[in-house]
Amino acid sequence: MQYGFLIDHRRCIGCHACTVACKAENDVPVGDFRTWVQYAEHGRYPAVKRHFAVLRCNHCTNAPCVTICPVNALEKRDDGIVDLDRDACIGCRACMQGCPYDAIYLNEDSGSAEKCHYCAHRTEQGLEPACVIVCPEGAIVPGDLQNPESRIAQMVAELDTEVRRPEQNTGPNVHYVGHEPSMLRPGSAERPETYIWSERPDDKPEAWPEELATVPDARVVLDTGHKVEWGWHVAAYLVTKGIAAGAAMLAPFAAFLGLSGFAHDYLPELIALVFTLATTWLLVDDLARPKLFLTLLTRPNTKSWLVKGAWILMAFSATVPLTLLARLIGLDGLAGFLRLVNVPLGMGVAGYTAFLFAQCEGRDLWQSKLLLPHLLVQATMCGAAILMPFAGAPGWLAAILVVGLTLHGLFAAAERNAVHSTDNARQAAAFLPVVKIGPIAQPWKLATRAGILIPTMLVVAATRLPDSLEPAAVVVTGLAALIAFAGLYLYEAVFVRAGQLPPLS
Amino acid sequence: MTRASQPDFHPDQWQVTPLESFPPFEKWDDWTEYDAKAWPRKVEKRYMLVPTTCFNCEAACGLVAYVDKDTNSIRKLEGNPHHPASRGKNCAKGPATLNQIDDPGRILYPMKRVGERGSGQFERTTWDEALDAIAAKIRLALQEDRRTEVMYHVGRPGADGYMDRVLQSWGVDGHNSHTNVCSAAARLGYALWSGSDRPSPDHENSKFMLLLSAHLETGHYFNPHAQRIIEAKSKGAKLAVCDVRLSNTASMADYWLATWPGTEAFMLLAMARVILEEELYNKEFLEQWVNWREFLLVKRPGEAPGFETFIRVLKTHYAKYTPEAAEKECGVKADTIVEVAREIGKAGTAFATHIWRNAASGNLGGWQIARALQFLCTLVGSVGAKGGTNLNSSDKFVAPPFLKPSPQTVWNELLYPPEYPLSHHELSYLLPHLLKDGRGHIASYFTRVYNPVWTNPDGMLWEQVLRDESTIEQHTALTPTWNETAQYADYVLPVGLGAERHDLMSQETHSAKWISFRQPVLRVARERMGETFETTREANPGEVWEEDEFWIELSWRIDPDGSLGVRRYYESPYRPGEKITIEEYYRWIFENSVPGLPEEAKKHGLSPLDYMRRHGAFLVEADTWEKHKTELPEETVQAGEFDVDTASVMKDGKAIGVLAEGRPRVGYNTPSRRLELYSKTMVDWGWPEHALPGYIESHIHRKHLDVNKGEYALCPTFRLPTLIHTRSGNSKWLYELSNTNPVWIHPEDAERLGVDTTDLVRISTRIGHFVNKVWVTEGMRPGVVACSHHLGRWRLFDEGTDRWASSKVTREEVEPGRFRFRRIEDIRPWSSNDPDTKRVWWTDGGVHQNLTFPVQPDPISGMHCWHQVVTVERARSEDRYADVFVDTEKSMEVFREWLAMTRGSKRPNGLRRPLHFARAVKPALEAYKI
Repeated sequence: MQYGFLIDHRRCIGCHACTVACKAENDVPVGDFRTWVQYAEHGRYPAVKRHFAVLRCNHCTNAPCVTICPVNALEKRDDGIVDLDRDACIGCRACMQGCPYDAIYLNEDSGSAEKCHYCAHRTEQGLEPACVIVCPEGAIVPGDLQNPESRIAQMVAELDTEVRRPEQNTGPNVHYVGHEPSMLRPGSAERPETYIWSERPDDKPEAWPEELATVPDARVVLDTGHKVEWGWHVAAYLVTKGIAAGAAMLAPFAAFLGLSGFAHDYLPELIALVFTLATTWLLVDDLARPKLFLTLLTRPNTKSWLVKGAWILMAFSATVPLTLLARLIGLDGLAGFLRLVNVPLGMGVAGYTAFLFAQCEGRDLWQSKLLLPHLLVQATMCGAAILMPFAGAPGWLAAILVVGLTLHGLFAAAERNAVHSTDNARQAAAFLPVVKIGPIAQPWKLATRAGILIPTMLVVAATRLPDSLEPAAVVVTGLAALIAFAGLYLYEAVFVRAGQLPPLS
Repeated sequence: MTRASQPDFHPDQWQVTPLESFPPFEKWDDWTEYDAKAWPRKVEKRYMLVPTTCFNCEAACGLVAYVDKDTNSIRKLEGNPHHPASRGKNCAKGPATLNQIDDPGRILYPMKRVGERGSGQFERTTWDEALDAIAAKIRLALQEDRRTEVMYHVGRPGADGYMDRVLQSWGVDGHNSHTNVCSAAARLGYALWSGSDRPSPDHENSKFMLLLSAHLETGHYFNPHAQRIIEAKSKGAKLAVCDVRLSNTASMADYWLATWPGTEAFMLLAMARVILEEELYNKEFLEQWVNWREFLLVKRPGEAPGFETFIRVLKTHYAKYTPEAAEKECGVKADTIVEVAREIGKAGTAFATHIWRNAASGNLGGWQIARALQFLCTLVGSVGAKGGTNLNSSDKFVAPPFLKPSPQTVWNELLYPPEYPLSHHELSYLLPHLLKDGRGHIASYFTRVYNPVWTNPDGMLWEQVLRDESTIEQHTALTPTWNETAQYADYVLPVGLGAERHDLMSQETHSAKWISFRQPVLRVARERMGETFETTREANPGEVWEEDEFWIELSWRIDPDGSLGVRRYYESPYRPGEKITIEEYYRWIFENSVPGLPEEAKKHGLSPLDYMRRHGAFLVEADTWEKHKTELPEETVQAGEFDVDTASVMKDGKAIGVLAEGRPRVGYNTPSRRLELYSKTMVDWGWPEHALPGYIESHIHRKHLDVNKGEYALCPTFRLPTLIHTRSGNSKWLYELSNTNPVWIHPEDAERLGVDTTDLVRISTRIGHFVNKVWVTEGMRPGVVACSHHLGRWRLFDEGTDRWASSKVTREEVEPGRFRFRRIEDIRPWSSNDPDTKRVWWTDGGVHQNLTFPVQPDPISGMHCWHQVVTVERARSEDRYADVFVDTEKSMEVFREWLAMTRGSKRPNGLRRPLHFARAVKPALEAYKI
């Protein structure tokens, strides 16, 4: 069985009755929507039309939100409805990154995600969803798509229907007929600064890159807002995680890299430990319901890379202190061995995010194939940067850092300029240069130019300092490291935000 | 699921799943449903389902309230499947009623002014105190026979007949309405044809629909009409929409006819000409049902009055309206006009049309647009036909209450000034001008769900007279919410929303007659569960009351001993001498005045009242076509005589029927009993040049505009699908969807002005200007700008107009009589018991235009002609967004200019108004005589 909807845009008049009836039925907060109507105008006077699209959860056959939810709060029911258990949700908002349709929002009061659940509380009592019964035009046809007797199945079979964004391979179960095709291709029309009779919600104040509008004489004229859910926590976590992982990854080569004494014996693990703790704090603090953090362990969804990542972080958090302990009690052999174990774990810590981001079906930019190598490069570069001030001389660490920064710059350029395979990735890449981070004017430029060039120059300067000024090298390399981290943070912040900026609806 | 034997109107073809749309009717008293908020935990909630009627727009759609039995509160409102018009379906405003009930800013208790009028200072009072004070004022007026000094001014009536009875029981001529800022023009156009002043299109069965309206998104009667328009479209009917802007409705149409505003009649007459020239008209219908004999007797006296002659004369008369001339005048391609005309001819009797507001309400002579539209229906014989355009009188049923008072014997010239004998109806928006002109005085004035300071043109003049206690001694605002006008009241009395009051309504939504019952659902539910209440306010939130009971109580206090002859109308028909209860009032109507209802109720083992309490609506008559063909009773025919010249049945020199299709029949409600192509009324009352449907150049005609000076026609009246005038400012779910009203402007015009979307423009009228932002759109006729009237609410104080909707402004008298409003605080989040108030993300709320509009009364229909000649320019350096500036000195000047266009001197038979014209709360004949 698979419940679904057919939205009949031959009949829909764009009246928003479904929108409001849903809010009344499900007590949806102001600013959030489980179903909404988008308007777009196409053409030139007098050959101009305003089109409508009723947008909502697709109750996907392969629902990415279900896959990514770490605590199994999202469930694909036997009747095909994708339901959400608000008591179980920890508020990580991964589902909102996983959903390619903007269908999920966070209820700020409860800290839980919420979405269209096909009014399962009604269907279980034999009643149609609230949006269906209110519609003055009978434009929302509900029913079981797998029952060939049902009206919806017959209509889908007979009519020329379409689903939203089939390239995401989610198997959407909301079908459209009589619609303007480009309305199912988000971002293909221009977006003015205000709408026809609503302000444009300021969730995404970034200017709309003109290159995005691919349909001529078309613009979205009414829409709802969708918040950017992952922000500075995630950007910072990518940096702290990179530092922790990088320090561990370079640890076996400590002597070769010029570290000695305490810096050789303990520093990499201490750095890894501190930054892993910081990473964990960022992760927990970013949850809308931090107190439910441990349910990640008690009701894990083993398919979710949030869970797998948590396991990797846990393993890393165990072996790193063990390494320190072994060193402390003099078991240098064991410590050396554990340092080798920490290398793949560190790579896991650094790199698992690539797999997590790959599960974010709504963020094609993040799904980049370059992300895994890029994260590993970032980690290595971070490890080199943080260890460098403690090395006798910049030497190899400087070289690694410079190479890392260069590669990072190349990866960044590739993310911006690569030929992206989907509209969403292309749009997100177009947003990279216009993303706004706090008061910073052009964060992308800053991150990919100053954030790379300044530390590189400082490192080069440090290597060329006369011996007499060696103590100053520590300051210079320390400064280089800090600027590199700041630059990387800014880069991540832009990358994370840009990925969330293109409309999915 | 057992259904009532009255049909469940929810169309069967929509039953597409094994799922039902509504809980089974037999479980409505005790319905258990899972709590959506707790889901997926299965928490059961117990409800009683009580039907009522929506009170947002005028359509009177059915609602069903879910009353939580444990908390005695309303959980939600759904559609009512027993409602013949809305059929279980609603627009966004139906379910949004919940917001209005729970609005944290609503008025819960009667308030009394404590400072100066308009100072924003009120304190809580009691209903008793308010009732006594108001009753004393009215009693004195009645005792002193000042029967034109009590005025009830209604915005949205939401009821049929109740207030007519109240006012007539007091013997006053005091009913004022909003009609002439709304529909007066179209009413006159229709009334001249048939005596019925509104159309009732049978969209459902039509083959071609022509709308001068936006019925797929708004208007009388949006939801019921939109359902049926789309139904017809899905069966293959075509739709043409005439509008200067691309409405959602025009977007769904096969033809968008973007006429130059004000030229619509020319285009329609060009279509009529095509129909005539190409012989697409319905010969039989015209011959039988149009007063062509009367027309020929005047036009071609002495000639043999043959139908062929009539057609020939008609063709000659309309010869100048060629499609090519129409293209030049209207800006719509000649080919399109011919194509649409042929479609109309092809549809024949299945040609449904509507005009509501739109062009008729915008333009000088707009009433001729409605008349020209009805001309098309007449030509193809669709008037009263299945799939055609029927008359509201065929499709609306007003059930008479018990003991009807006799009509008042006085005439209030503040309502119907002598200059406007043909107006439809009260010259409501001229009230301040007439008062300033020294034409009267008001002892007790009620504004009831009415907000003239904001809604009417020239609001500053309203403000001035409302502040003046010597002109209006007492002002009572009966309103569910604070609004711009209530600020100037002495008493602000909270009255119920759609689920908190009794009313009985009927509307001409389709080819049927029905009634819908509005109920205070909490009272009804709790009474069914065994509680008793003396008044509805005991069950409503706070002390929110309903007017029905208020008027009973007020009338009783006006005449406590019965000496004024008022009290007896408020004595129970069941318990002689005792005060009637509201239950008894409706019980009597349902038992005595609604054909078929007692029988239907009996089938269910219910009393008629119980039937209505449980079903909420009743279909009085279905398939109401061709009422004009009803045969005259034999005795009536016997008592009359035939007039061969006009083929009519006459009595005492008046037509009482027509000889048509071989039999004496009732015909239409006109002096000739036929559809009056030729209106003798217009001739007799001084407008002979308008005896036939014709074209009047609008006050915004292109020849009055100089584009090079930045002059444009402004179309300032269009509704949004989610708002309803100033009654929806209390709904958060509607305001988060609609919260700004930029000025629509075509890219060419934007380029000429050097502006782009969001740039500010100053728009100047004859009496002031406003500053708004620009919305550049291809969906706008070049040379015309448009702005929705649904936004721009303001408040002068922290409290006042709902904060979801209003910005805070200052009002400054910069020079005597010259006022400037400036926004000092955007809409912003605030703290309340509703967590959503903190989540308000919109800041704008739009710009108020109406303050800057002078009154422009059409000299014939009395309609305020809304369209404006404006100058559009880039905002000046001193301008701020949402600035409004008004020069009230100029207000009166423009008023006098328009007043001078009237010809009120012609008074056939010494009457104030044609007797056959409808008049709200029609007085006795003696009042008509000058």
